[in-house]
Amino acid sequence: MIGLVVAAVKRAIFAISLLAVFVLFVGPVAILVVTSIRPASGVYYIWRGTNFTFSNFIDVVHQSQVMQAMWNSFVLSTLATIFSLGITVGSGYMLSRFGGWIQRSWFATIYIFRTVPYISWVLPLYLVNTRLGIYDTMLGLLLPHIAVHVCFFSWLMKGFFDGINPSMEYAALIDGCTRWGAFRRVALPAALPGIAALSILCWLATWNEFLFALILSGQRTPLITSTMAQFVTETGTEWNLMSATAVLAMLPALLVTIFGQKHVIRGLRM
Amino acid sequence: MAEVVLRDVVKKYGTVPVVHEVNLDIADGEFMVLVGPSGCGKSTTLRMIAGLETITSGTISIGEKVVNELPPKDRDIAMVFQNYALYQHMTVFDNLAFGLRNRKVPDAEIKAEVARATRMLGLDPLLSRKPFQLSGGQQQRVALGRCIVRRPQLFLFDEPLSNLDAKLRAQMRIELKALRERVPTTSVYVTHDQVEAMTLGDRVVVMKDGWIQQVGTPLEIYNRPATRFVAGFIGAPAMNFIDVELADEQGQLRARAKDFDIGVAPQQADCLRKHGAKGVTMGVRPEHIHLGAAPDGKGSSFSGQVKVTEQLGSELVVGLDAAESTIMASRIAPETDIALHAPAEMWIEQRALHFFDRKNEAAIR
Repeated sequence: MIGLVVAAVKRAIFAISLLAVFVLFVGPVAILVVTSIRPASGVYYIWRGTNFTFSNFIDVVHQSQVMQAMWNSFVLSTLATIFSLGITVGSGYMLSRFGGWIQRSWFATIYIFRTVPYISWVLPLYLVNTRLGIYDTMLGLLLPHIAVHVCFFSWLMKGFFDGINPSMEYAALIDGCTRWGAFRRVALPAALPGIAALSILCWLATWNEFLFALILSGQRTPLITSTMAQFVTETGTEWNLMSATAVLAMLPALLVTIFGQKHVIRGLRM
Repeated sequence: MAEVVLRDVVKKYGTVPVVHEVNLDIADGEFMVLVGPSGCGKSTTLRMIAGLETITSGTISIGEKVVNELPPKDRDIAMVFQNYALYQHMTVFDNLAFGLRNRKVPDAEIKAEVARATRMLGLDPLLSRKPFQLSGGQQQRVALGRCIVRRPQLFLFDEPLSNLDAKLRAQMRIELKALRERVPTTSVYVTHDQVEAMTLGDRVVVMKDGWIQQVGTPLEIYNRPATRFVAGFIGAPAMNFIDVELADEQGQLRARAKDFDIGVAPQQADCLRKHGAKGVTMGVRPEHIHLGAAPDGKGSSFSGQVKVTEQLGSELVVGLDAAESTIMASRIAPETDIALHAPAEMWIEQRALHFFDRKNEAAIR
């Protein structure tokens, strides 16, 4: 009898937790999507009324600033992924396979940068960027992103290479490869699932990044995350337009996640 | 094929030496086995021959050519690893062909060489599979194939059978032996398994703590161990060691411990007298100890309480509490009726005694 009660309580707790998680994660997205298809007058009462419209999306798509920001974010994310991964793969491999003072110093460097709070970088970076004349340029946005990704993803990349038995590379060395050849032809292909996973995570991280976008970009290189915030004006917040932009901004990330999920899971299980 | 010569080879990690002045001559076509417990330096020695570890001092030559500074790819060697080290993203065929492609061998020749190896190892049905689709035994066969196709002058094996289960290991051991006949190439084989060392090696090198303890044919190592370590390491069940005091009695040398007294054969007695020490360690293999009383002139008896019995089906192993230790006797008829804790008598063959110095553990002979 007591056993039955305990089982019922356990089931109830499980169901409530599940519901809580569902509400926490799905709730905001649902509200966002509903808001995006409501007229401006209906955004504060999204559960009432039956006025639905796609005019928000049409409106937003016709704002050149938003479309420009989408394109900029896409280009920035792609470039940041390519360059950071290029460096991260080498860096992770070095951390995993080699000893010595260069490796230790590099490890210490990225470790220190990992421990510095992200937000404390942003203001100095703003000053550096204006001084170098790269404020509000693609380069000025790209470099900080690469720096952050290299520090963060080198650790994960090291983990991937640690999981690959080095004797495969030794076999390649004996089979006629140079050290570089063993890396390129044996270690790198073996790490591909991991690299694919990191590419997706890296792309999403740049696409969703807000702080750099806010401080380091301006009129010339608007990014989608900071552009979204500009619907907050002196006369009020255009929630409907902001939501429509947010839903549009979610789409590429959603596509990348849906199609890349398999690789991410396989990579992270390495 | 080629001979391999190691001269005063030393390996240190920082200031810690892991291999001490190894001198070794491996003849052309010889199958040399390096055996020893973990951390004895056998794998490091092999990796230095392969060029995967640098040499701190000394020289290594393969085929009369000093290879100290030569990268692995230019040493004309092939190596089998404990975990097979197959290229996971390539098919079996590509794994086999990888080394030849690196050497720009024409495609037709690659196909012929791969076909030769696959025929030898029965890999034909597996050529288009990836390594993760193969069993452990199949993977190790592919690793062997990868060596064969290259026709190198030296094969290196780094504990190739350690990851296989006992049954498969025994089977692969036989296959390796058969393969040796068909592809006679100088080989260095590292293992911690004494059975592999004894069955595969033309000669065996026993190592401990970075030092070579003994080099010899399997029978030499077994019958005339140079140190107490070698004597204890090779052979199962392990050799019995008893600390004895030597005493001359009416012209005959006797080795004595508590409740234990055995006569030493005249020739061996001379060596022991020459050596001079009174307290030595006596070693005797379990198969040289028998149940019952000693026949005249063949050995000496002792008695004690039965402490352990191990029924193996083909033989019975009995441990007797005597001379302040447990003395193991093997090859006793399995049907023998022996009760635990009961008193029993055994005898030791006089001709089968080994004696070791207690300080430096070297054999006295």
